[in-house]
Amino acid sequence: MPLLIAKIEKSERRIPFTPGRSLRDILDATESRVRSGCRGSGACGFCRVQIEAGKVNEPTPNEYTLLGSARLEKGIRLACQVMPEDDLRIVVLEPAPKSNWRSLFAEEDEVRRIKTSLTLREFQSEVEHPYGVAVDLGTTRISLSLLELSSGKRLAGRYGLNPQMRFGSDIMTRLVAASESQIQAQTMRQQVIEAIGEAMLDIATREGINLKIVTRLALVGNTAMLTLLSGRNYGMLLQPSSWMSYVDCLPQDTESWAVSWDIYPRARIEVIAPLAGFVGSDLLAGVVATRVTENEAGALLIDFGTNSEIALWDGQTLWVTSAAGGPAFEGSGTSCGIPAEPGAVYRVSLENGELDFAVIADGKVRGMCGSGLIDLIANLVKSGRLGKTGRFTSNVPGECFKLVEGEQNLYLTKGDVDVFQRAKAAIGAGINILLEKAGMGSRNLHRICIGGAFGQFLNVGNAQDIGLLPNIQTDLIELCGNTALAGCEWFLLSSEATKSLEILTEQVKIINLAQCDDFEDIFFKNLYIEPMAGS
Amino acid sequence: MSELTINRLLEALLEGNQSLAVVESRKLLENDVKPERIVTEGIESAMTQLDAKCTVEQFNLLEIMLVGRAVMEVMKVLYPTDGSPPDTKGIVVTGALEGDVHDLGKNILRIVLTAKGYRVVDCGTDCPVEKLIDTAAQEAALTIGVSGLITTVIPQVRQVTAILSERGLGHIKVMAGGAALKQATAESLNVDFVAQTAFDGVHYIDQILEVK
Ligand code: B12
Ligand code: FES
Repeated sequence: MPLLIAKIEKSERRIPFTPGRSLRDILDATESRVRSGCRGSGACGFCRVQIEAGKVNEPTPNEYTLLGSARLEKGIRLACQVMPEDDLRIVVLEPAPKSNWRSLFAEEDEVRRIKTSLTLREFQSEVEHPYGVAVDLGTTRISLSLLELSSGKRLAGRYGLNPQMRFGSDIMTRLVAASESQIQAQTMRQQVIEAIGEAMLDIATREGINLKIVTRLALVGNTAMLTLLSGRNYGMLLQPSSWMSYVDCLPQDTESWAVSWDIYPRARIEVIAPLAGFVGSDLLAGVVATRVTENEAGALLIDFGTNSEIALWDGQTLWVTSAAGGPAFEGSGTSCGIPAEPGAVYRVSLENGELDFAVIADGKVRGMCGSGLIDLIANLVKSGRLGKTGRFTSNVPGECFKLVEGEQNLYLTKGDVDVFQRAKAAIGAGINILLEKAGMGSRNLHRICIGGAFGQFLNVGNAQDIGLLPNIQTDLIELCGNTALAGCEWFLLSSEATKSLEILTEQVKIINLAQCDDFEDIFFKNLYIEPMAGS
Repeated sequence: MSELTINRLLEALLEGNQSLAVVESRKLLENDVKPERIVTEGIESAMTQLDAKCTVEQFNLLEIMLVGRAVMEVMKVLYPTDGSPPDTKGIVVTGALEGDVHDLGKNILRIVLTAKGYRVVDCGTDCPVEKLIDTAAQEAALTIGVSGLITTVIPQVRQVTAILSERGLGHIKVMAGGAALKQATAESLNVDFVAQTAFDGVHYIDQILEVK
């Protein structure tokens, strides 16, 4: 991969990149964004950088107009107009103001869009060329995208941390905090509404988009997040007796949201209702987006997260469950874990017994994200350093495995392996139990769709070797990214999607793992670091 | 002879090799080794060694479950009627409180306690505080062991001691454990002891007995 070295303010970043994206887009994926005001169309002239070394494409006409030949001669360019192919060294002249929001890339979902071609809704509106916004309200992350309603094209996307994290990283703690005090509940509610507004504002200012023409917004989320957003029935989820029943959590004050976001005042704001218990509309959106229920063939959708949601389609019934494995795959809960962001080891490979690894964005190692953890564990087992029960072999001296040592350290401790095993076992047990309920084996699976935590980095073969995914041909396994957001976009754009949601709710059977008598045995078997049993 | 095979049993247990452990314990019984001796020299010493390995950093759930399962199978061989010795050091009532359905940790506690000669009466999961206390009263329990894996149960944990003393059962000690409780102090949970691991809990009960 070619390497981009970017000087920004006082620091220097090393960013490996795949050619095919503009310099602005490459920088956007890191914390070192360049200022921007026109979605990279070359119209605003904000995104100025100086090329210090390396060859790039000739300046575009827009650059001649906005920069003039004197600047161009000094190597000053517009980052959105530069398409680097090779190693490059630049100075970011106009860094973007710090923001809590990062860009989502358009390409990722474009791929999905082509595969699923639903008919778009007819939009009647007083506004010409109206825009819509789709929101996936996650426990850890809020992601949203802005689309042109007439074409369905995604114009911009953002993701950032859910500010409720301050009240606790898991849903239980937040539900308790809300039940304890009305003020806390109100604060959490407000925080999310404000965060969504902030993300939209980031899009508006950076991409030069007028929010007044956002006439529609759709939102999906897990049930807990939706109860906190609407301020209704959050106490219900704390009682096991209500886990199988519908939880009414649709908000009743959406007009005031439109005002606070400064979008079209009569915008239609639609929160998609959850199914029941903990099974939220995020999972339903994922099912619609991936179309796992489209034909007779058996298919499995796993949305990885702190609470991984699993849906199994047997041709007639959609079996769903939620497995609380903890946040290990999101890069938290282990001593070495960090989310998939710059500095995270995201891939580990084994060559001639030696381990090699790759780091996101700049070269400095800060920790390891979920996909890196899976690769590392799989390769430690393969190279005889880790036993399948989770014990280091005599090939690993000391108490832990040292992947990086020196200026920066990256260690995998025995405790980390334990946390990993539990997370994997909870999900593995969930999959096994659903397959059993549906009377299926992995041989009946013709497709596995993976959404959530891993993004595009998951090495499917390694995930199978350690028993996180059923053993089927790897080309039947698709990495789908944020399926909840993709599905939410479809609810926004197409009435067919809304209809398929109605059909879906008739086909679903919820399985509560806590009520499965043999859970402990199945969980126990899945603690082993080995391929999943059963065929 | 029996010395040697008790060692073999010990090794099989520590490896978590269930079938070998069962074979070895059958051999011991056939050689007229008393179940009590197999418990003290085999099972209890396996537990002591496991205990030493189970510091918070060294903990591995699968390893413990493997040993635990092997121990329970051997107990069934030794005491075919109900899997625990006829006379016990005391009774411990365990449970997970309302809203909490996790029971893996509690099951490990039961195994460790059984292996160490206590009798465990388990109230299961999602159990109201009152039911836990009624059971402790009926069984004349030495201690109540509350297991909590989700933070929501903390307010209920805080009530246990108060209700016990209201009902004149103040002599029953209360200990708490599990991922959601072990970070807390005994004062803040209003209990007598907070255990980091199941072994920690056993040490605490052993100590109560010594004082008595
Ligand atoms: C397995 C599991 C489940 C299984 C439980 C099945 C079962 N029969 O137990 C299933 C899938 C059903 C489940 C469901 C849920 N779970 Co869950 N689950 C886990 C998981 C993966 C492992 C827990 C476990 O068994 N640990 C192993 C045992 C051995 O450890 P332990 O209990 O701490 O026990 C040791 C010691 O503490 C001690 N000990 C334990 N109790 C006691 C008591 C005494 C007296 C003593 C002396 C010692 C002692 O002995 C043991 C050995 O030393 C954890 C995540 C993780 N990675 O740990 C989440 C986790 C506990 N679950 C969690 C949640 C939120 C849930 C759900 C609400 C999720 C959902 N949205 O559906 C539901 C419902 C739970 C409920 N209301 O009770 C959260 C809790 C967060 C919080 N802050 O409260 C966790 C931490 C995951 C997370 N980070 O989100 N879960
Ligand atoms: S000119 Fe590059 S972002 Fe506007």
